[in-house]
Amino acid sequence: MNKTKRIENTFDIVRILIAIAVAYLIALIILALISDDPLNVIGLFIAGPFSSKKHIGDIFTRMIPLIFTGLCMCFVYAINKFNLAGEGAVNLGGCLAACVAIALKETSVPGWLCIILCIIVGALAGMLSNAIPAIADQVFHADVCVISLMLNYILLYFTTFILKNVIKDQGAAVTASYKLGSKVKLPKMIPGTTIHIGLLIAIACVVFVAILFYKMPFGYKMRAVGINPTFAKYIGIPVTSTIILAQIIGGSFAGMGGAVQILGMFPRYKWESLTNYGFDGLMIAVLARKNPILVPISAFLIAYIRNGADLVATKTQIPPEFVSIIQGIIIVLVAAEMFLSGWKKRLIFNAARKDLNEKEAKA
Amino acid sequence: MSLMRIGAFLYSTLRLSTPLIFAALSAAICEKAGLFNMAAESMMLWGALIGVMVNGWTGSVWVGFLGACLAGVVVGLLIALATVKGKADLMLAQIAINLASTGGTIFMLFVVTGDKSTSAMTIQSDTLPKIFVPFKKVPIIGPMLNKQNILTYGAILAAVILYIFIKRSKTGVHIRAVGENPNAAESVGISVSKTYFLTWAISGLLGGIGGAFMSMAYTSAFTKNMVAGRGYIGLCASSMVGGNPIGAMFCAIVFGVADAVANQLQLTNAPVDIVMMLPYIVTIVVLIIISVIKMKAHARKIRSKAQKA
Amino acid sequence: METHKEALKMENITKIYPNGFVANKGITFSVMEGEIHALVGENGAGKTTLMKVLFGMEQAQEGKIYVGGKQVKITSPLDAIAKGVGMVHQHFMLVPSMTVAQNVTLGIEPRRHGLVDNAACIKMTQDLSDKYEFGLDATATVADLSVGLMQKVEILKALAKGAKVLILDEPTAVLTPQETRELFKQLKLLKENGHSIIFISHKLEEVMELCDNVTILRHGYCNGSYPISDLDEAKLSRLMVGRDVVLKIEKADPKPGRPILEVRDLEKLSDTGKLVLDHVSFTIREGEVLGIAGVEGNGQSFLSDCISGMQRFDGGDILLNGKSIAGRKISDIRESGMSNIPEDRMTVGCVPTMSIMDNVMADRFERRENMHGLFMDKKKALKITDDLIKEFEISCDDRSEAIRLLSGGNIQKVVVAREFTSGANFVLANQPTRGVDVGTAEMIRKYLVRQVREQNIASLLISADLNEVLEVSDRLLVMRQGKIVAAFPKANMVSEDELGEYMLGIKTMTPDEMEGLL
Repeated sequence: MNKTKRIENTFDIVRILIAIAVAYLIALIILALISDDPLNVIGLFIAGPFSSKKHIGDIFTRMIPLIFTGLCMCFVYAINKFNLAGEGAVNLGGCLAACVAIALKETSVPGWLCIILCIIVGALAGMLSNAIPAIADQVFHADVCVISLMLNYILLYFTTFILKNVIKDQGAAVTASYKLGSKVKLPKMIPGTTIHIGLLIAIACVVFVAILFYKMPFGYKMRAVGINPTFAKYIGIPVTSTIILAQIIGGSFAGMGGAVQILGMFPRYKWESLTNYGFDGLMIAVLARKNPILVPISAFLIAYIRNGADLVATKTQIPPEFVSIIQGIIIVLVAAEMFLSGWKKRLIFNAARKDLNEKEAKA
Repeated sequence: MSLMRIGAFLYSTLRLSTPLIFAALSAAICEKAGLFNMAAESMMLWGALIGVMVNGWTGSVWVGFLGACLAGVVVGLLIALATVKGKADLMLAQIAINLASTGGTIFMLFVVTGDKSTSAMTIQSDTLPKIFVPFKKVPIIGPMLNKQNILTYGAILAAVILYIFIKRSKTGVHIRAVGENPNAAESVGISVSKTYFLTWAISGLLGGIGGAFMSMAYTSAFTKNMVAGRGYIGLCASSMVGGNPIGAMFCAIVFGVADAVANQLQLTNAPVDIVMMLPYIVTIVVLIIISVIKMKAHARKIRSKAQKA
Repeated sequence: METHKEALKMENITKIYPNGFVANKGITFSVMEGEIHALVGENGAGKTTLMKVLFGMEQAQEGKIYVGGKQVKITSPLDAIAKGVGMVHQHFMLVPSMTVAQNVTLGIEPRRHGLVDNAACIKMTQDLSDKYEFGLDATATVADLSVGLMQKVEILKALAKGAKVLILDEPTAVLTPQETRELFKQLKLLKENGHSIIFISHKLEEVMELCDNVTILRHGYCNGSYPISDLDEAKLSRLMVGRDVVLKIEKADPKPGRPILEVRDLEKLSDTGKLVLDHVSFTIREGEVLGIAGVEGNGQSFLSDCISGMQRFDGGDILLNGKSIAGRKISDIRESGMSNIPEDRMTVGCVPTMSIMDNVMADRFERRENMHGLFMDKKKALKITDDLIKEFEISCDDRSEAIRLLSGGNIQKVVVAREFTSGANFVLANQPTRGVDVGTAEMIRKYLVRQVREQNIASLLISADLNEVLEVSDRLLVMRQGKIVAAFPKANMVSEDELGEYMLGIKTMTPDEMEGLL
């Protein structure tokens, strides 16, 4: 028994690594095919993100919003409801946080309190975004995935409406909000890099979610409902409310992620398109196998891939979007049960046979 | 509103409905097979891009159109491969394909144009022919139908053909049987996995044509993200009527009206972003209403059966 | 029209499942043309497996099948259909939104101009229906039909594909008495037309009325084939029902105390509108085990679901410790003293991918004594789990092991351990030892008896295992067709023959006879 379990666990990790390797290989082949200087481009893609202190710092900076959305999608994925409103929640959280920052700019409210208020508003925005599909699904039985995808467009246009009509700085050269003010700017952590204290907030959230998942009753309920709702009902767990609440809590992290990203990285709010952080978050949750503790690791991986692609894009003509192909391939390969399943069966079979032989030898 | 303007409004409604009809039909055949098609978005994107590219290479708009069809079919078959052969979760696989398609089309666009300023980059294309009707002087109907693209007629025709196909052809009957009770189908020798592959291929074909309309008729170029959620709207249209192609077509036209109203409002002083939200809000509201109606109908059916007994 | 040609013969069929369970051992029987042949036996006697082998859904390790005198190999249902064997499944294989004609011709649709020729489909179906006096409207939609008519569509489906041998798997289980009579009329007509029918049933009066010959299966073995004329119901029941090994459980006489669970005039309609619980009433007192025996599918699952709160009921009431459970949440019902060992441990009783600890703690992780402020007390949980693993001798590598990696018996031990230690004073045990090894089954039974006596709790035991209901229960009720049809004050005094007669409907007690025993 124990052997089977060990094989299965090892196999899961190996499978994910192979999926990543396959996707990476495909990406490298594509790069090699279309580039005039393939060696250089591939080198840039692989080693570029680690080539200097600043570049390494950039990976961590990029991780910050991804950790937040990754946590959001952990909740969604843990209860088995594909609520993707986390994508729009990033925009809404960022936009409303910007509004709060602008409103408080001229007041005497201290900076730290402004930051906290901005982040809270961001979290509330995320909760609201995720609550709509969750309730539509549980109360009206409308498909949560479709509703959330539609909602993302609504949130996008709603935030651009706010941007253009409420907080737009007419003096700015491009469409952008008023300056958010230096007092809400999240301080940098390490000189010479862009890493800001948002990283600490993100890590704190990871710790909190891990505790919620594995140490608190709600996390237990959520996992049980996600894996076997019939059992949850039988044992007396309130299934519907757990499903809705989990999505709402998850949404708060996506909204917070938007707020932290805006406060940490931008002097003004100017998002006019979806950020893709939410969809990346889903992938991070899939790679982390819904385990919040592994979210920073998979966020690091995605940030590294994305930064590599960005570096390639700045030095060459190749647009960074090619990494989304890698992401798609990784998700499909990880999700496909049959991928390498023959190999796994053989491993388990061989182990069982070995056991049997040993027992027979003893007897 | 004058008759002229009504005619013009209906013309624009029909034009805007065309890609939605194809998306709805793409979702409808899947729904009949018991599958949930979220990937019409990807089928359309690739159809739109490949159509334009093939058109550019061959110089023939019709060969380009064929390329678009083929691209859609390939996307459909990829989903079938991942979910039927690979046993991947259907939702997750489609989310992944949509993700890969959004970036993948942009990347492909770059490979062809060699230009990375993604906001500006487009590939120009020829457009499929328009149809001029002899009765263009007839009020309302004349201006509504005159100069519509051939694919707009194609969409209506496709709905009718798909309806007959699902209702009357042997394959169509088998698709429905698989959708409702795969065990029943399997027990009389219908291969469920083959049927899924076929369904995805047809669905892809329809999505691909919808994409071709976007880049080779509605506009004459491919721009990134040009499908903008139409695949999902099509899915809603189809699920409103349980996958009936004719019904799905009419629902798609209702969403087309929302699009056309939004377009009209953009000409007025109404804030453009609020107007752009309109089709999506309509979709959500309609989807919820339909779900509630379905729920009530189901409860009523159980009650009446119980009463009969 | 009596012919004496052999239509079908199964010879020396042995089927062993990969987990080592011997479902069929050396079974031989044959069916003549124009014969209705009954295949009877208790649950788990091997009838379904045998028919799956015949219909190509399972492959036997040993044995031969002859159709029309020729030896054949049947590897798939398609194969079986091609060789003239048709099956009417218990769960209908129909497409509800399609018409009768479309269902009957599915897979063999006649075509014209490339499209399905609806007129020909309808004609073909209607002709067939008329020929055998099925009285079906070929253009009706299947979803609108009654269950009885749906079954006729199933039979037509098999006939349309040229079936000479028809397998009917418990066809009357879902039918009303009127529908059953009609079905019999049609089956006799089919017989006169030279078809052979294999009729699987638990209902002896039906077998006696309809069939020519009967083959009896018991615990995977063939217990002989007999002409019906040589048997009476009592003899048939004795051949079917019986224990191979009589199991004895030592226990003190019960001293029933105050009532714990009171079921009053309970009524329940199934989703299809059938009355599946028909004014069921009984009381269970502290310190006693009430057993419910019966052939499966006679309302026991509905009864268990109603009591546990998994399903709502339509009439009557259930009182647990004096409080009605109607409309209350399951957590609430559990709090007021319910624990529940469900029939299906893998989909209801546990979360297979979670650890032993998570599964054990599922009902008590939120109790104050197991919490440490806002957090679950891991140390406490580990201790509880370790204690239970020890007490119930759950063999596992460690408590963090996913429960699905355990054997069936050990998984059931985890469920039983949780439910018996939840602090409840009522234990609902539905098939608590199904599919577990002999040792574990014995342990679970003894534990149940000991708990009830020592802790003075009450238990309802629903089981299809005769040894279990007869030996573990103090009092015994028999359920048939949603009703309590017999009540015995001392379960271990009931003979299995007598029990069989009530289970199979040969005898029924009147309300007066059961007075005071419920």
